[in-house]
Amino acid sequence: MKIRFYILTILLFTATLLHAQDARLTATVASTQVATGEQFEVMFSINTNGDHFAPPDFNGFRILAGPNISTSMSSVNGVTTMSNSYSYYIMAEKEGSYTIAPATIFVNGRRLTSNGLTIKVVKGRPVQQQRQQNMQAGGNAQAAAPAEADMAKNLFMRAVADKTDVYQGSQITVSYRLYTRVDLLDSQVDKIPDLNGFWSQDVKNSKEQQVRWHIETYKGQRYNVADIKQTILFPEHAGNLTIDPLGMTFLARVPVAPRNEIEAFFGGGSTEVKQKVKSAPVTIHVKPLPEAGKPESFTGAVGKFSIEASVDKSELKANEAINYRVKVTGSGNIKLFKDLSTNFPADFEKYDPKITDTITESINGVSGSRVYNYLLIPRHQGSFTIEPLKFTYFNPNTGKYVTLTTKAFPVKVNKGDNEANVTAFTADKQDIKVLDKDIRYIKTGDTELAEEGDGLFGSGLYYLLLTVGPIACAAAFVYRNKNRKLNSDVVKVKSRRAGKMAAKHLASAQKQLQANNTKAFYEDVFKGLYGYLSDKLNISYADLNKETIASNLKTRNLDDQLTRQLLDTLDLCEMARYAPVTHISQQEVFDKARGIINDIESKI
Amino acid sequence: MKRILYIILWLALPLLSFADNNTTASFEKGNALYAKSNYKEALEVYKKLIGEGYQSTALYFNMGNASYKTGDIPSAILYYEKAHKLSPGDKDISFNIQYANQRTTDKVVEAPEFFITKWWKGFILALSLNTLSVMSIVLVLLASVSLIVYFFSEALTLKKGAFYTAVSLFVICLLFVFIANRQAAYFEGHKQAIVFTASVTVKSAPAEKAGNLFILHDGTKVNVLDTTNGWTKVQLANGNEGWLKGNDIKEI
Repeated sequence: MKIRFYILTILLFTATLLHAQDARLTATVASTQVATGEQFEVMFSINTNGDHFAPPDFNGFRILAGPNISTSMSSVNGVTTMSNSYSYYIMAEKEGSYTIAPATIFVNGRRLTSNGLTIKVVKGRPVQQQRQQNMQAGGNAQAAAPAEADMAKNLFMRAVADKTDVYQGSQITVSYRLYTRVDLLDSQVDKIPDLNGFWSQDVKNSKEQQVRWHIETYKGQRYNVADIKQTILFPEHAGNLTIDPLGMTFLARVPVAPRNEIEAFFGGGSTEVKQKVKSAPVTIHVKPLPEAGKPESFTGAVGKFSIEASVDKSELKANEAINYRVKVTGSGNIKLFKDLSTNFPADFEKYDPKITDTITESINGVSGSRVYNYLLIPRHQGSFTIEPLKFTYFNPNTGKYVTLTTKAFPVKVNKGDNEANVTAFTADKQDIKVLDKDIRYIKTGDTELAEEGDGLFGSGLYYLLLTVGPIACAAAFVYRNKNRKLNSDVVKVKSRRAGKMAAKHLASAQKQLQANNTKAFYEDVFKGLYGYLSDKLNISYADLNKETIASNLKTRNLDDQLTRQLLDTLDLCEMARYAPVTHISQQEVFDKARGIINDIESKI
Repeated sequence: MKRILYIILWLALPLLSFADNNTTASFEKGNALYAKSNYKEALEVYKKLIGEGYQSTALYFNMGNASYKTGDIPSAILYYEKAHKLSPGDKDISFNIQYANQRTTDKVVEAPEFFITKWWKGFILALSLNTLSVMSIVLVLLASVSLIVYFFSEALTLKKGAFYTAVSLFVICLLFVFIANRQAAYFEGHKQAIVFTASVTVKSAPAEKAGNLFILHDGTKVNVLDTTNGWTKVQLANGNEGWLKGNDIKEI
């Protein structure tokens, strides 16, 4: 209020001065307290004609418009009052207390100075820093070469990213945009941004070489705007990455105040200015891809894709080629794809895929398709399956991993024409020594065909045959021992042999009987009986007589009748050797002797 | 005594029973077809004989040859190996096996064997099981005869000679039985098979989903270690082991 009071006082003074035709320059402002970002008007007014108005240096303020010059003239009671005013629209950028220095003007060769103004700036809307405020406008301004600061206002470049908070691998479109309010004559690029940490892909304007201009309002000013360079960036690692500035040098035609009437007639003068322009760096915050739920098949594809696979044939001969084609379509870092995790039958010969990209870069990002063409050669017959292919990408819009799966393809491989001549396989078998030229001929001689079975070894027959020998041996052994035992007892052996010996003698006797040799016959019968008894009774031939025979037979419990009969026959034989016997025939004697031996044999 | 002889003769008769004329004629016919390079027909004839239940080293060997000539290497190797099993010491068979193996895809370097193991293998496989069996029987009979001679002979020299002959013959016979036993145990313990599928992936476990270990091709010989649920555990000569489906291989 105090300030207002002062101003009012000053104005009152001015009025009195005007009245006294006294020239005065006055600076006025609607309010001495303003907020940052608020536009307000500062007016310098003079009550007479003046020239060479020099505005003060608006330190701490930005000039938005001005000076606007107005002239008013009034005649009251013959007194002509004239008033000129220079007004500026300015804006405070920072809080604080600022002083607007006095302005000067020359009236009739006299230099007039205005009053200074103190403006208190309070916090208001934030204001983007702009380096310079001074703005020269044509018209009545002093003819001087435009300052660098003015050029920066009229010609500058911005790097505009469509996103500043992205996932690693997702695409960002960055436009280097030129803003100009002056005519440009020539341009040259000083420094192409390195774009470290990004994989970049320039958007090509295929239709036109020239940049396209359009009009855009930026910070309350209208500019001619052109996109100098558009780049699609794929951040390669997480963190805060900086997009490097683009530096360019322009040759601009800047209008200046006409130096003379002729220049003014032709629309004002102009001058050529060389201006270096650099965009401000932009920081991109790159988030790492989420580890949670990251599938194994993920190899770094980020974007949105679809996949399809096909084979050119499902049945072929060994050593023929088959093409397996995988097409990935979508938008994202297609060019950064690693090889697909194909799952071919291990016995297929597999060659590196032929990769064909059909990719367009537009302001919306990189999109298109990539075709993988795999050449496979099955080397052996059989039924194979090309297993489904898994392709995983990260969708940055949803923040999730998506896994796509292709179809499985059954492949039937028939026997090839010359499977044996696969050089690829025989080449590494060289170290086998070369043998003959052919296999050995068939066996023709022996035709010992046998019934199939378990074979002789281990069969029951085998063991039986194997034991036959030992069993025979054992039997022979037992038999021999028994034999030996029997033969070891001489008496028994003699006794056993007695019958045989007797039979021998009797057989001889029978011969004599048939030969009618009476004497020999009786001798043989006698010998037979005596020998038999000697053996049987184990009495030596010399000790043998009727008494010993009788007693011996008695001890062996032979019945008396048989003993008497034996003794009688012995007597008869003894007698018949010397005298002919008539009462009994030779045949009867023979039968009798045999009968006796048989009887004794059966009884003893 | 005579009766025992008859029994022995009666028991020994099947050993000497040769195939009847009909099968011999078939075999000869197959050989004749082979000689005229009609390998397929020859193989048919041989196969018919096998189908009738006959087998022999020569038959399997000839079948292997016929299969080889028709280009069926896995079958050829299978038949050769069968012949080899019947007659392990046969040089022709070993040669043809080696020769046919040159035509197979897989080269398997055999793990080196300890030399004593090698000698032992050669020793027990020198003669066929049938030969060993017949010889052991003949030897035991001869030994028995000489022992019996020893039992009953009276002359001292004869008795002495017969005794030592009998003892040495028995020892040799026991050795033969032992070798035959070892050989039978060897083939029992070393079941082998030939891969018949052109290409088969050997898995780490008896399941389709199991990891792949290596690939075998037809004609490769493998040792059969185990069998479960239609899967067979096999071992290569170089010591690698894995599972494959039972119908991919044919046992020798």
